[in-house]
Amino acid sequence: MLLSAENVSKTFGSLRAVAGANLAIDEGEIIGLIGPNGAGKSTFFNCLAGDTLPTTGRIVFDGRDVTRASPEEHAELGVGRTFQVPATFEDLTVLDNVMVGAFLRHPHRGAAREHALQVLDLVGLGDRQNLRARSLGTPGRKRLEIARVLATGPRLMLLDEALAGLTPVELQQAIALVKKIHQTGVTLVIVEHIMEVIMTLAARVIVFNQGHVIAQGKPADVVRQEAVIEAYLGRGHRNWRKKD
Amino acid sequence: MKAPIALALAFILYPFVFSNAFYLDIGVALLLAAISASAWNIVGGYAGQVSVGHCMFFGAGAYLPLLVYHHWQLPPVVGVPLGIIVSLVLAVIVGMPTFRLTGHYFSMATIAVAELIRLVIGTWDFAGAAIGLQGPAVGRGWWDLTFRGELPYYFIFLAVLIVLLLVISTIERTRFGYYLRAIKAGERAARSLGVPVRRTKLYALMLSAAFTSIAGSLYSIKTGFIDPESGFGILVSVQMVIIAALGGAGTLYGPLVGALILIPLQTATNTWFGGGGTGLTYILYGGIIVLIARFEPGGLHEMWHRIAPKFGKRHAA
Ligand SMILES: Nc1ncnc2c1ncn2[C@@H]1O[C@H](COP(=O)(O)OP(=O)(O)OP(=O)(O)O)[C@@H](O)[C@H]1O
Ligand SMILES: [Mg+2]
Repeated sequence: MLLSAENVSKTFGSLRAVAGANLAIDEGEIIGLIGPNGAGKSTFFNCLAGDTLPTTGRIVFDGRDVTRASPEEHAELGVGRTFQVPATFEDLTVLDNVMVGAFLRHPHRGAAREHALQVLDLVGLGDRQNLRARSLGTPGRKRLEIARVLATGPRLMLLDEALAGLTPVELQQAIALVKKIHQTGVTLVIVEHIMEVIMTLAARVIVFNQGHVIAQGKPADVVRQEAVIEAYLGRGHRNWRKKD
Repeated sequence: MKAPIALALAFILYPFVFSNAFYLDIGVALLLAAISASAWNIVGGYAGQVSVGHCMFFGAGAYLPLLVYHHWQLPPVVGVPLGIIVSLVLAVIVGMPTFRLTGHYFSMATIAVAELIRLVIGTWDFAGAAIGLQGPAVGRGWWDLTFRGELPYYFIFLAVLIVLLLVISTIERTRFGYYLRAIKAGERAARSLGVPVRRTKLYALMLSAAFTSIAGSLYSIKTGFIDPESGFGILVSVQMVIIAALGGAGTLYGPLVGALILIPLQTATNTWFGGGGTGLTYILYGGIIVLIARFEPGGLHEMWHRIAPKFGKRHAA
C-alpha cells in the first residue's frame, strides 16, 4: 500500500468538512475522487498533502506516519499536489516555475533547468517556457501546475480539478498527458467533476459526500449506486449531467 | 554584460569629474543608500518579506564600531564583525517566531523591535543615550578605515556595493534565489513543491541583516558620529524600502536606480528649501510612496519593461 488514510476528519468551527474519511491507495493506481460541491474533497487533499492538519485520524505514506508532516516534507517524500485554483508563480516565467519544482531533486541550476525543460516538453509547454505564468490563461496555468509538481519527482500526485475548464481538444490532450504520467510509474488521485475524465482514466472511483466515502468501486458500477445518485441529484447538483 | 561595467566605470570616474566636496558628499550618500537598499532587497524584495525595521541592523552595525572605540579605544573596524553578529542574533530573534506565521506579522514585528531598540538606546548611558557616540577625531589611515577626506570612503563604499551586487547576482542564479522568488510569488505553492519556506526566509533575513549592518558600520566610521535617530530612526528603515521600491524591489539594480534618483532629489529639496530638518523628507517619502502605490507598484524597473518595447528598444528579459 502506498498511502492509507484512516478515519481522517477536519473540522472548521462547527463544520465537519472531512468526517471520518478512509482511503487506501496502491502503488500504480489511478483513482477518481468525485462528489458534490462542498463534499470535502479539496480539504481531504489538503490533509493528504500536509497542507492542513487533520483534526483526527492518521495518514501513512509508504510506511511512514505523515499525519503531522509539513507540505515540504510531503514533497520530499514524493507526495505532489495541484491546487483547485491554480497557484502558479504568476510573475515568474513558465520555465522558472517548473525549475522551482525541479530544484527539489536537482540542487544545481544546470541540472534543474535541464530537467525542467524535459518536463515542459512532456506536458507540451516547451514553446512557452519564457512567458510569464500569468499570461497563460487558466488551462495553461493548470497544465503548468502539473508540470511543476511533476518536476519534483512525485510518487503520488493529487490532482484537484486540474482538468476543469478545458475545451474538448485540450481535455483530450490533458487526458493523454495524465496517462503518460501514469505510465512513468506515478500513482494518481484525480478530483474531477467531468465524468468523462473519470470514466476514461480511473480504474477505481471513490465517491465523497459530507466528508466521507459513501461508495467506491469500478466507475461504471459506482455511478449506478443509489447513494451516489442521491448525493448528487438530491442536492440538485449542477455537474452531474455535464457529461460532455 | 556591458552595461554593468559601464556603470561601474561611471562610478569610478565620478569623483574625478565632480571633485568638489558637495558632489562627493552626494556620491558617498548615494552609494551608502544603494548598499542599504540592496541589502534590504534580499529579504524585502526577492523574498517579499517587507521589513520596515531594517534600521535595527543598520543601527547595530553603526553603534558597535563607535562603542568599541569609545569604551576600549579599539579601532572602530573591530566593531564591524561585532555589529554583524548582533544583527544576526536580532535577525533570528525577529525571524524565527514571525516566519512561522503568514500575514503581516513579520513587518509589524520589525517595526516594533526596531522602535524598542531605539528607545532603549536613547536612554542607555553606555551607548551614549540621546546624545550618541563619537569616533576618532582625526583620520588615522587604512589600517582602521578612518580618513580625513571623503574620497577613500567613496571607493570603499563602491567596492562594498560591487561585492554585494555580485553576491546577489550569484544568488539569483542558485536554488536559494529561485526559492526566494517562489516564496514571494506564493508561499503555499512553494511549500507544496518542497521549498523549506521558513528556513529560506530566515537565511535571507540573516544575509540581508549582515549586509545592512556593514552599511551601518560604514556610515558611522565615515561620519565619526552616531545617535539613536541616525542609527535606529524609522526614516533609516523607510528610506531602504522606498529606494528599493522606487527602482524595483526584487531586481538586482532596482535599489541602485532608486538611490540614483532619490538621493540627489532629497539633497536638492533639502538644499533648496533650507534643509530645515526631516519634515521635508517625510513629505518627499510620503509622496513617493503614494506615486509608487498608485501608478507603478513594480517600480521603475516594471515601468521600463512596459514602456521600452513601445519605443522599439530591445531589452533584456
Ligand atoms: N479554510 C476553511 N475554513 C472554513 N471552511 C472551509 C475551509 N475550507 C473549506 N471549507 C468548507 O468545507 C467544506 C468542504 O469544502 P471543500 O473545498 O473541501 O469541498 P470540495 O469537495 O472540494 O468542493 P468543490 O467541488 O466545490 O471543490 C465546504 O463547506 C467549505 O465551505
Ligand atoms: Mg474542491
